[in-house]
Amino acid sequence: MTKSTFETVQEILASKYSLPIESITPAATLESLKLDSLDLIETLFEVEDEFHIRVPQDRGEDVTIVTVQDIVDVVNKLILQQHPAQLAAGQQP
Amino acid sequence: MRRVVVTGLGVISPLGRDPDTLFAQLMAGQSAVGLVSTDGPAGQHFSIAAQAAFKPEQHFSAGQKTDNLDRASQFSLAAAAAAIGDSAIRVTPDNAGRFGVALGTGMGANKSLEDAYIQLLLRDPNRLKPLTVLTVMNNASAAHIAIQHGLGGPNLTYSCACASSAAAIGEAFRQIRHGYADVMVAGGTEAILTYSGFKTWEAMRVLAIADRNDPSATCRPFSKNRSGLVLGEGAAMVVLEEREAARRRGAHIYAELVGYGSSNDPVHITKPTVDGQAQAMRLALADANINAESVDYVNAHGTATVLNDVTESRAIKQVFGEHAHKLPVSSTKSMLGHLLGAAGAMEFVISLLAIRHQAIPPTAHLDVPDPECDLDYVPGQGRRDQDVRCVMSNSFAFGGTNAVLIARQAEA
Repeated sequence: MTKSTFETVQEILASKYSLPIESITPAATLESLKLDSLDLIETLFEVEDEFHIRVPQDRGEDVTIVTVQDIVDVVNKLILQQHPAQLAAGQQP
Repeated sequence: MRRVVVTGLGVISPLGRDPDTLFAQLMAGQSAVGLVSTDGPAGQHFSIAAQAAFKPEQHFSAGQKTDNLDRASQFSLAAAAAAIGDSAIRVTPDNAGRFGVALGTGMGANKSLEDAYIQLLLRDPNRLKPLTVLTVMNNASAAHIAIQHGLGGPNLTYSCACASSAAAIGEAFRQIRHGYADVMVAGGTEAILTYSGFKTWEAMRVLAIADRNDPSATCRPFSKNRSGLVLGEGAAMVVLEEREAARRRGAHIYAELVGYGSSNDPVHITKPTVDGQAQAMRLALADANINAESVDYVNAHGTATVLNDVTESRAIKQVFGEHAHKLPVSSTKSMLGHLLGAAGAMEFVISLLAIRHQAIPPTAHLDVPDPECDLDYVPGQGRRDQDVRCVMSNSFAFGGTNAVLIARQAEA
């Protein structure tokens, strides 16, 4: 089944933090989901495994993650950077 | 000077999580020592140890996150919750800043550290659980206890090997006595029954040789045929409280903590000294302002190493003189194993239960008298209907720290 980056991030958050899936909208802030900075670090760790990407240590310098969409944007950007060959083969982030 | 009483007990022990059940089993000479297996690189590794009967689901709700809590932290959280529940004390926004935590642990988050190294060194040099630091830091247990119960007072972790939790209780006692806190949740935790945990202790050649006929009888403190210590795991926590406040709220008082002695053997990293141990006992007696003859029971450090048991017996004779030969001294490590950083707290709790039940737990498996260990070690079975008003609990550590606690029956 084809899934968007958002749907995958949504599933990770819902399962890891026992959150109702409908509460995880793109515009939802992590704070509104009662997720703190440590939860974000753990979420990025899972996202890395799921998308086979690595979030660089300095991600904080030019990226501020406030909402679920911000996570999706980071993931999409890293997929484009780290997996250009897969995109060329027709996979959509 | 302010006085300090114990108003709550909580244990996760190899003989269960209910203090009175634990004590009943000890009285019957029931040993929790047995064969346990861990996974090593060459497959299953078998050891003799006393494993805690612990089911996380009995202590943590389904929604509670435990994946960043080491087994040691889980033990201490469960024991602290039990102790606080037992004391029936209420933490409010007004008093929370006067409630603290003092916790002892010798080896910290052993399993989580082992897992982290396996992952990093054998599987992926760039992939480690992101919150590993927060899981393995030695003060994780104390921190989580404070967070769970909202305790804003002093939050301190003590690590002095096998004396860690006795020191934690002693130092917590001083916090209340000298007015820095009104309530301290104090004790210790240890969860070292891992492959690397066993191997580090095996490498040092201090573990007992397994009794092949009866593995449960492997730990034989004060017996001529003793061959070393047996590792155990668990946690014990107590609620210490300023006496007048405890009385005002009508709390059940287990006993009054009256004395703490702390000394060191500054000569060798493992070799105990008679003088150092005796000094800690004397300091505790002086701190309690009582005579040696007032002590009715000593819960010995009694590790069942050749050296400890002789040294401790000599130190007890030096401190107690003639009274030493009338004084029951027992090592409950014969049944629970050595809980290392949690041992002092567990044995302090057992000593308080001796007062509560007016009974003295035995030294199990003491079959062959040792002429160099010539005290009354209460061999085999416990003694009921005893007059137990004042108890001493000894803890002596690798590194030299000696910590001695004295408690007595609360005044009516």
